[in-house]
Amino acid sequence: MPATASRTMILLVLAALGAAAHASVVTSALDFGRDVRPILSENCFYCHGQDATKRKGKLRLDTLDGQRAKDVVIPGRPDDSLLVKRILTKDADDHMPPLDSNRRLSEEQIQLLRRWIVEGAPFDGHWAYQAPQRPAEPKVKSQGWVRNPIDRFVAAKLDAYGLEPSPEASRETLIRRLSLDLTGLPATPAEIDAFLADTAPDAYDKVVDRLLASPHYGERMALPWLDAARYADSNGFQQDGDTYQWVWRDWVVAAMNADMPFDRFTVEQLAGDLLPDATREQRLATAFIRNSLLNGEGGNIAEEQRYVLLFDRVDTTATNWLGLTMACAQCHDHKYDPITQKDYYSLLAAFNNVPESGTAGYITAKIRSADPLLDMASPSQKASKARLEKELSEAREEMKRQQAAWELRATTGEDAVADGAVLDLLRRCAEQDEKERNEKLRKYFEEKVADRLPGKPAQAVKERENALNALKDDYPMVMVMSDSKPRDSYILNRGNYESPKGKVSIDVPGFLPPLPPEAPRNRLGIARWLVSKEQPLTPRVIVNRMWQTFFGLGLVKTAEDFGVQSEPPLHRELLDWLAVELRDSGWDIKHLQRLIVTSATYRQVSRVTPALLERDPENRLFARAPRFRLPSMLIRDQALAASGLLVRTLGGKPVYPYQPKDIWDSLAITKERDFSYPQSSGPDLYRRSIYTFWRRTVAPADMFDASPRQTCKVRASSTSTPLHALTTLNDPIFVEAARALASRVMALPVHDRLGAAFRMVLARYPDEQESARLERSLAKQLARFQADPRAAEAFLAVGESKRDPALDPVQLAAHAAVCLGILNLDETVSRQ
Amino acid sequence: MTTTRRQLLARAAAGIGLSALGLPLGGLSADEATDWGAAPGALPGLPHFAPKAKRVILLWQGGGASHIDLYDHKPKLDDMRFKDLPDSVRTGARLSSMTAGYKSWPILPAIKPFKAYGQSGTFMSEMLPHIGGMADDICLIRSMQTEAVNHAPGVAFTLTGSQVPGRPSIGAWLTYALGVKAKDLPGYVVMTSTDKGRTCGQLFYEHYWGSGFLPSRFQGVRFRAEGEPVLYLRDPAGIAPPQMRDLLDDISELNHHRFETQGDPEIETRIAQYEMAYQMQSSVPDLLDIDKEPKHVLDLYGPDVQRRGSFAFHCLLARRLAERGVRCVQLMHSGWDQHQNWSTQLEEQCRDTDQPSGGLLQDLKQRGLLEDTLVVWCTEFGRTVFLQGDRNNPKGFGRDHFGRAYSVWMAGGGVKGGHVHGETDEFAYNVVQDHVHVHDLQATIMHLMGIDHTRLTYRYQGRQFRLTDVHGEVVKGILA
Repeated sequence: MPATASRTMILLVLAALGAAAHASVVTSALDFGRDVRPILSENCFYCHGQDATKRKGKLRLDTLDGQRAKDVVIPGRPDDSLLVKRILTKDADDHMPPLDSNRRLSEEQIQLLRRWIVEGAPFDGHWAYQAPQRPAEPKVKSQGWVRNPIDRFVAAKLDAYGLEPSPEASRETLIRRLSLDLTGLPATPAEIDAFLADTAPDAYDKVVDRLLASPHYGERMALPWLDAARYADSNGFQQDGDTYQWVWRDWVVAAMNADMPFDRFTVEQLAGDLLPDATREQRLATAFIRNSLLNGEGGNIAEEQRYVLLFDRVDTTATNWLGLTMACAQCHDHKYDPITQKDYYSLLAAFNNVPESGTAGYITAKIRSADPLLDMASPSQKASKARLEKELSEAREEMKRQQAAWELRATTGEDAVADGAVLDLLRRCAEQDEKERNEKLRKYFEEKVADRLPGKPAQAVKERENALNALKDDYPMVMVMSDSKPRDSYILNRGNYESPKGKVSIDVPGFLPPLPPEAPRNRLGIARWLVSKEQPLTPRVIVNRMWQTFFGLGLVKTAEDFGVQSEPPLHRELLDWLAVELRDSGWDIKHLQRLIVTSATYRQVSRVTPALLERDPENRLFARAPRFRLPSMLIRDQALAASGLLVRTLGGKPVYPYQPKDIWDSLAITKERDFSYPQSSGPDLYRRSIYTFWRRTVAPADMFDASPRQTCKVRASSTSTPLHALTTLNDPIFVEAARALASRVMALPVHDRLGAAFRMVLARYPDEQESARLERSLAKQLARFQADPRAAEAFLAVGESKRDPALDPVQLAAHAAVCLGILNLDETVSRQ
Repeated sequence: MTTTRRQLLARAAAGIGLSALGLPLGGLSADEATDWGAAPGALPGLPHFAPKAKRVILLWQGGGASHIDLYDHKPKLDDMRFKDLPDSVRTGARLSSMTAGYKSWPILPAIKPFKAYGQSGTFMSEMLPHIGGMADDICLIRSMQTEAVNHAPGVAFTLTGSQVPGRPSIGAWLTYALGVKAKDLPGYVVMTSTDKGRTCGQLFYEHYWGSGFLPSRFQGVRFRAEGEPVLYLRDPAGIAPPQMRDLLDDISELNHHRFETQGDPEIETRIAQYEMAYQMQSSVPDLLDIDKEPKHVLDLYGPDVQRRGSFAFHCLLARRLAERGVRCVQLMHSGWDQHQNWSTQLEEQCRDTDQPSGGLLQDLKQRGLLEDTLVVWCTEFGRTVFLQGDRNNPKGFGRDHFGRAYSVWMAGGGVKGGHVHGETDEFAYNVVQDHVHVHDLQATIMHLMGIDHTRLTYRYQGRQFRLTDVHGEVVKGILA
């Protein structure tokens, strides 16, 4: 319902910015891109935009020429301009937008269009398609508040809207916020104490430096990248075979920890294989492209599936780096953005030279992946494989030899054969197809004869085959890129792989800066172009996503779309400044992140006052720090870390933490492989959530609001439902963490225990009221467990780790129950 | 309270009804079970017009149920067994790569005779006596068409409008648009079952009931047959319900305290959701407790109803969920993929599903619920009229996937009973009249629920998305 949607949008804008925003719309000069194009785009471009096949009346409103043609827009004369006349007409046939289109302009929008024409109808290209320039840092009233240029842009807007920044948050809040944002783990009591005691002026910066250097930084920062890269550990269709893409996941974490510049990070993942003298790691990086869903269903049409993969690569590249929705141009020229169908297939051509069929191949019953594969095995794995292969081939030779000998004996009657048909075969009684004959004899020999002969040759073969398969289940062969199969690429009529039309060659969208003439016309050229100095979109898209990580919402809310239909950013100067800073710093991600987290903007309290809630409910002006629920992976990690259960090993094979019974089996209706969940035991139960095996068809049970890891997702959803509450209350890992947390404080004096546990999670001590409530809670839990000590034992038995037998079970259980409550506080699951 | 009711509704609602949160539901009293026009969480302006159905029960028949053997009566084929399907008939159909390379196309007639059911005399297989017994309430569509050749894309296409995963499912769209009347249950419930032999190599993917780009609270909640029906529903071992109640009260008070100093309305939402979680701990077991159902009702669904996790059990739960104000119930049953086990499995499959499906219709009807409940029996595609495999091996042959023509049916809320819509040629191969594309079926379901499918859109990646993409026409011919 576009009409309702646009009305809602205006309401939202007004509500979001309060009266001041409205006043600014009325008083300051209109900006075509910010104020006018969104109205035209939403209401007119569908028929009067870029898609020539849908264009009505040969009229287009998305270009200056189009607007000036045929008196459509006459600068200074709204009433003579066809645009306004057709909007205002009472004639139902002439009315625009057409009455049956579900699109309607509001009175405010009509007035705005008139004013724009009165002001001379200035036209401007879409802001995001023009390279960002470093804007001048504005002068602001609250000079003393400013810590770095970010704050100037924020303060200037606050000045304009008549708002004040919020005070700086307490050190406890800050260290928890920083630790969760940068490493996804809570600060330890020792770290908190050190920070509180540090009176040096750079105490805060030292914490930031320490966290940026932590090996857990990469684990935290990889999470949104894995969502964007639709990373999973299985391929997502029938049989849902496992893959070895986790080796690439470790590459990402390592690259982030090493502060790999983002331009290199980009080029290696999109085209590492095409770099001169590409290293194994650089080829591994290209697994990024191969993380897609991969269909191995029986009967599928390989070429159709191959195009599904190609479309996914274009969409992922466009969304992830350019913030563009190119998928529309798969079937027709884009309705809103200047992306043609030719642009789409010219980019697709860059991914079209891979030696792949389009479907998943069979490695073992468990592993299904597809060429090209990169052998990432360890030397000892390689040696074992070579040995098993050699043994297998020897066993097969031995079987052949024995078969030949048996055939001779059987033919001469030396070895009796009861089966007449086989005898006929052996004696070549009738004319036979040679191949068929050999096959039948082989089968008969292996099944009926071989294993009564010395050395049981068939069994020997089988054993070696099994051993080799078992090895292959664990032998990392990662799906990576290669351009070794050149193919011609075509525009596909309506996106149908069976209807190719014009041939295309590799190129970038025409409305963006061109590929430099010397650039290679392949993925490497495209990758370098994405991070070139002229590129307007990539730096903006990336800093916006970074902002989203720290503020919950991007400066452009639609992180996945920077096209003309996207929200014009209120903080465009700040966005552009950050984008230029990122690019000109040599794409130094940690540098940008340091700037953000050391800004005064970031260091504010997150308290929401009624006035702020009224004026700016989404906090688009940053008059306070944001407050948002942690991603569910981090909620789990936090509980593990605070309770001391966390096993901090980095990287490696995926692990299988607790999961309710039968989740995998019940969804799999296949006998081809064992779908029971191979739950880990010992340390692997307590690894960070990033290492949990991600089955694409059924995500880990306790990770709610997670990206489905099917297509590129650059904006996480954060909702609040009863199912989440049930998870953090009842999932064994949270119950076990509560017990472990309680165990950590039982040695303390009685009245210090709950406060200490509280602080391990929240980095602060409870206030007086909170303490009182916690104590009352403890008393109630204690009474219950004292009345039923066996219940205490049962509660303490949850989870694989054992309770400390030296502790009184009733006391421990009561404390653990209250700790479970602490792990479920809103403050715990939120970052503030 | 700084949060307006509207904010709270917008944030908290929709996936789950709000009345249980003790909030005033302007204009709705708790017992207005019939007025769903403005259920909590509904978008403004929805429904677009008076709905004929207030809830949907989808009986998904996974694997590709054979229209030729079940619903599309072609008696002439009986005389053509193993004769080649004429080339003129075959022109242009996209077949799966399992049969696309065939050199001959031997016709395989229906496995069992058909018979005329009910006053309407609708022809269906004699393997479907219970569905047939409700023929006068059923609107049979014999002219379905899909674009998919394989299961996962075909199921996703029908349930989400796109062959590639990632779009919201019908149930997610419905709960997003219309809100939910249920007080203490999710608005969109999914249950999965398989044929007893587990013959069918398919998986049930979560995106079949996913929320796509809609907020994730709209995704279907799968009630499981194994272990706890809702994940993590049960309190931890050793914690009795009153003890959990104590703990929840403490959590709630600490959160309230925090809200006073932090002022974030999200805290209030969280408090409400914890309360709802507690209520689900009793409402869900109550839903599953079928002991109080009288024998004559249980008998409607057949003997399997006593087996938890069976399609029959789920059909009974579908009725109980409908009574409790759940907007969309999606039963996913597999086992219709008869490539090789046509002669052995098809009849068994009918035995497992026919009585529960017919029984559900009858039960709903007896209670007056069928009037405003839309029941949709649906599959991802039909099967080929020609035989797949070796014609000399009846135990091992079957039929391949076929999307160019197949059959589905609807019953209840707003559709014509005892009606047949559309027609195929004498080989059940080409639709010759009133073809119904998957997007048309989706548009029609939305229409019956009071939604204009062209106007229910969601803006994502700069574009307005809808269930039917840019296609779909309401099938007027089946509207009552």
